[in-house]
Amino acid sequence: MSTKLFINPSALEAGVEAAFEARSEPSEAQAAAFQRFAKLRLPHRRIEGWKWSDFNAALRNFTPINEDPGAIAISPTDFSALNPIEFRIVDGRIQLPEEEMPDGMRYGVIDPVATITELETHGIATLNVAITRKALGIEILEDAAPERPILIRHINSAAGFSFAQTMMRVSSNAKAKLIETYEGEGAGFYSHLFHMVVRDGATFNRTVLHETGTENIVHSICAAKIDEAARFEQTSLSTGSRLSRHETILHFWSPGSTAKINSAALLGGACHNDFTTHVLHKERGCETRQLHKGVATDRGRNVFQGKFEVERAAQKTDAKMTANALLLSDMAEANHKPELEIYADDVECAHGSTSGALDKDALFYLRQRGLSEKQARTLLIEAFVGAVIDEVEDDGVRNVLRAKTLDWLEAV
Amino acid sequence: MLNIDNLHVTLGGNNILRGLSLAVKPGEVHAIMGPNGSGKSTLSYTIAGRDGYEATDGAVTLDGESILDLDPNERAAKGLFLSFQHPMEIPGVQTMNFIRTALNAQRKARGEDEISAADFIKLIREKAKLVGLDDAKLKRPFNVGFSGGEKKRMEMLQMAMFEPHFAIMDETDSGLDIDALKMVGEVVNALRGPSRGFLIITHYQRLLEYIKPDHVHVLAGGRIVKSGGPGLAAELEKSGYEQFVEAA
Repeated sequence: MSTKLFINPSALEAGVEAAFEARSEPSEAQAAAFQRFAKLRLPHRRIEGWKWSDFNAALRNFTPINEDPGAIAISPTDFSALNPIEFRIVDGRIQLPEEEMPDGMRYGVIDPVATITELETHGIATLNVAITRKALGIEILEDAAPERPILIRHINSAAGFSFAQTMMRVSSNAKAKLIETYEGEGAGFYSHLFHMVVRDGATFNRTVLHETGTENIVHSICAAKIDEAARFEQTSLSTGSRLSRHETILHFWSPGSTAKINSAALLGGACHNDFTTHVLHKERGCETRQLHKGVATDRGRNVFQGKFEVERAAQKTDAKMTANALLLSDMAEANHKPELEIYADDVECAHGSTSGALDKDALFYLRQRGLSEKQARTLLIEAFVGAVIDEVEDDGVRNVLRAKTLDWLEAV
Repeated sequence: MLNIDNLHVTLGGNNILRGLSLAVKPGEVHAIMGPNGSGKSTLSYTIAGRDGYEATDGAVTLDGESILDLDPNERAAKGLFLSFQHPMEIPGVQTMNFIRTALNAQRKARGEDEISAADFIKLIREKAKLVGLDDAKLKRPFNVGFSGGEKKRMEMLQMAMFEPHFAIMDETDSGLDIDALKMVGEVVNALRGPSRGFLIITHYQRLLEYIKPDHVHVLAGGRIVKSGGPGLAAELEKSGYEQFVEAA
């Protein structure tokens, strides 16, 4: 089978082409992006960086059913105790908060991004740019520090494909807390492209919780530009799904900024999760700390790819990356790829990666003290993941992530 | 109380214990001394139920009940406590939380009520003082960054908290200074009573100056080769183990 643009297209490719052609007037930028996508196509395992998360294979036999699911019941968020300003993107459709706009910020539905230079060779991001019609725009005004967190709930209940974009700016010396949840029991493909800027002196804190049904295929990418003396903090927790990949791309454009990018994955059944990050240090004196903890049981698959790139001008960069995997069954897998690419000579950069089973000595010790095998395992796994979760400063967020970890441990 | 009869144990295909017999009556303290490699730790791990220590023959009973088929936690719930020779560091596991979970797991298994948070904190503070551990240490991840002596104090803290029915102390004295040895003696002597038994495994006589054993045994080549009263320990200190190694 072939279409106008694709030879032997996947069902998704055929579907997006039909959807694209049905549009009345795509912008020139979108038409160009679609042409680029037709050349790039969906990423597959022969492309470096995608060998462990083959979206082409996963979507090859995926038949999108793009029926309007109508109004779906949406339960209150797990983060309701934090009184968040709640945005929803339900099967790709943006819903703004049903309340007056709080002080210190503005938001709305805006035109999507025309292009993101560093993502022009990224198949899924390019497709997202080509297809997405409207974006969620959020701006935190200068010096503002809204007390309430912003919550974006990505809810995917359908079996089709949907694309969404968010553009966010944290203005100079502002502070913002963002929580993103990926939810829903759907069996479709969802792509979210998040483009953000953290201005001089600003602090941005992002929490990502991926806890969808097991059938969803999800790709998210956050591309952030960090200005001078700014701070970017991110904690992600994923229980995976049929295939999920959350990418983070940070560019330090100016000196003296810091980033913390921590992640944890809890993968049972046949769930697959991929945390891929790329931190580009372009200017001097920036600091990055990254910690990943992945737990896999049954046929769970934990993918971690972290890359620190340090350009020649980025002297005095201080960057450390650690990835640890815990494998609880013979069929569970961990695929780690830590990478350093350094062109400056006066830097401190390090990475470490381990994988292994639960410590038998520790298990016996705990059991000798009276803990059942399940209790002992739970305590040790909780402690393993706790290294990421305990780093979360906000009590409310930390409590939710801890409760999610315990729920998962209870169920496996 | 604890009866070991003709116990044979293999570890990784090697015969370590070869017909060990020992009977500890309620209220008694027995010391087991012996050279390196004689099977002392194998004995303690086998009684506690560690994976890999396979009893190929013989029996171990506690209060007349065979324990060899019980899980380690079931043995713990019956009041069996092992003070480890090399206590674990367990990063991420908060000390108080762990000890409370363990205490409640034991109580629950015995059909007793769980201890309240307030009672627990009061009790652990009291016992921490007894073993010479700062409160601050109780808030740290379990044993992480502790010195060898502090880890042994943490073992004694747990023994004092759990008030076990039968305790095995596997080289608790190794790496301890005089003050810490005295503390171990105080903890054991305070727990000594008509229904409780102790098995103290050691290389040296030193600890036995603080804890007077009722019986002393020499373990060599996987079996008890000599038994006697407290005087045997002092005798061994002079003569060494060589005669027993040759005899075994």
